[in-house]
Amino acid sequence: MTDVEKLLDARILIVDDSSLVRLYYRDALQKAGCEVEQAINGIEAMEKVLAQKFDLVIVDVNMPRMDGFSFLRALRRGAPDVATLPALVITTEADAQDIDDARAAGGNFYLIKPISQPDLLRHVAVLTGAPT
Amino acid sequence: MTRAQGHRPGGIHVSQEDVRRLCEFVYRRTGMWFADNKRYYVDRRLAERIAATGADSFLAYFSLLRSDANHEIQHLVNAFTVNETYFYREEHQLRCMTSDLLPSIVHGKKAGEPIRIWSIPCATGEEPYSIAIWLMENWSEVDRYNIEIVGSDIDTRALEAATIGIYGERALNRLPPSVIGRYFQPAGVDAYRIDPGLTNSIQFTRANLVDVEDMRRYRDFDIAFCRNVLIYFDDTSRRSAAESLYDCLCPGGYICLGHSETMSRISPLFRVCRFSDAIVYQRPEHADDGR
Repeated sequence: MTDVEKLLDARILIVDDSSLVRLYYRDALQKAGCEVEQAINGIEAMEKVLAQKFDLVIVDVNMPRMDGFSFLRALRRGAPDVATLPALVITTEADAQDIDDARAAGGNFYLIKPISQPDLLRHVAVLTGAPT
Repeated sequence: MTRAQGHRPGGIHVSQEDVRRLCEFVYRRTGMWFADNKRYYVDRRLAERIAATGADSFLAYFSLLRSDANHEIQHLVNAFTVNETYFYREEHQLRCMTSDLLPSIVHGKKAGEPIRIWSIPCATGEEPYSIAIWLMENWSEVDRYNIEIVGSDIDTRALEAATIGIYGERALNRLPPSVIGRYFQPAGVDAYRIDPGLTNSIQFTRANLVDVEDMRRYRDFDIAFCRNVLIYFDDTSRRSAAESLYDCLCPGGYICLGHSETMSRISPLFRVCRFSDAIVYQRPEHADDGR
């Protein structure tokens, strides 16, 4: 994958309650050279973005304790460097209202599962500003 | 299960010292050495051979072995080596899972719903890990459902080994190098440790296939892999295990047995499904079907 090499420097946080899904996305991103952190819900994700620097957060919508939308709203209310962190929302929901909700919560882009590994990488490249 | 109940009639006692003597003997005669991390296999195979020869004590078996009666050394060595499990074993069933079973299962599910897959007995974890890796490598909808993989075994030492997740090079023989590179880290000489992300994605539990009470704790599985264990049971235990497995599956759920096993001779509860890659058995959608 040629455009993959352009992602090399990105630090990415994956937020999903399914460990298999996190592993599947992590595998794609690591193959592309990204550094990957993981969180299992919005609360853990919030702790991580406050403590570490990321280039992108990939966040699922339906999660226990704190869902993806609540996490994004909290994120956008945070300190400037945290509030502007690009967010890729991934979900199984597919209607127009869900996409509007994701935008309103502060998502920069919205992808509907299933997401192939190359598709994920293409969107990550765009959102992290890697030249395509 | 991996150490079948009722498989060691009379419950012959084998001490650690007995196992050490046996391992030394095998080493001297064959050059094969079973390190401590192989103890699980050694114990299991030894129990099988004691039962198969009808020896009534370890000493009786050991003397039979030393005299090499009926080529017992070869039988023991075969037992130690041939059946040791490995990743992507019976790959055709894994193929069948992604090409036929899962498409049929998700037909009745919404995105995000759980898909429950059970590996029983899971021994030291090769099978449930293979299922997880296979799904990530080969199923395009892997992120669309909440996949829950449970690995159960009666042997707590095997389960402990499964959660530690260290495997010899031989167990990884069938995996493509790219898969080994991504999901395993070298851990000493000829050993690899599986990705902790995979360890966390599987729930390991102790369960006894022939204990009806035990089996009641397991429900709603869409697929169960129960390979090469029912053959070790007598007819009564086998039927009881099959009935328990039936109850553990969702209506419409599938069970995969070992390649030499058939459910048809054990229980009439299941429907035989012949797919291009494998023959599997289905709990009918409705109780009246297939009976």
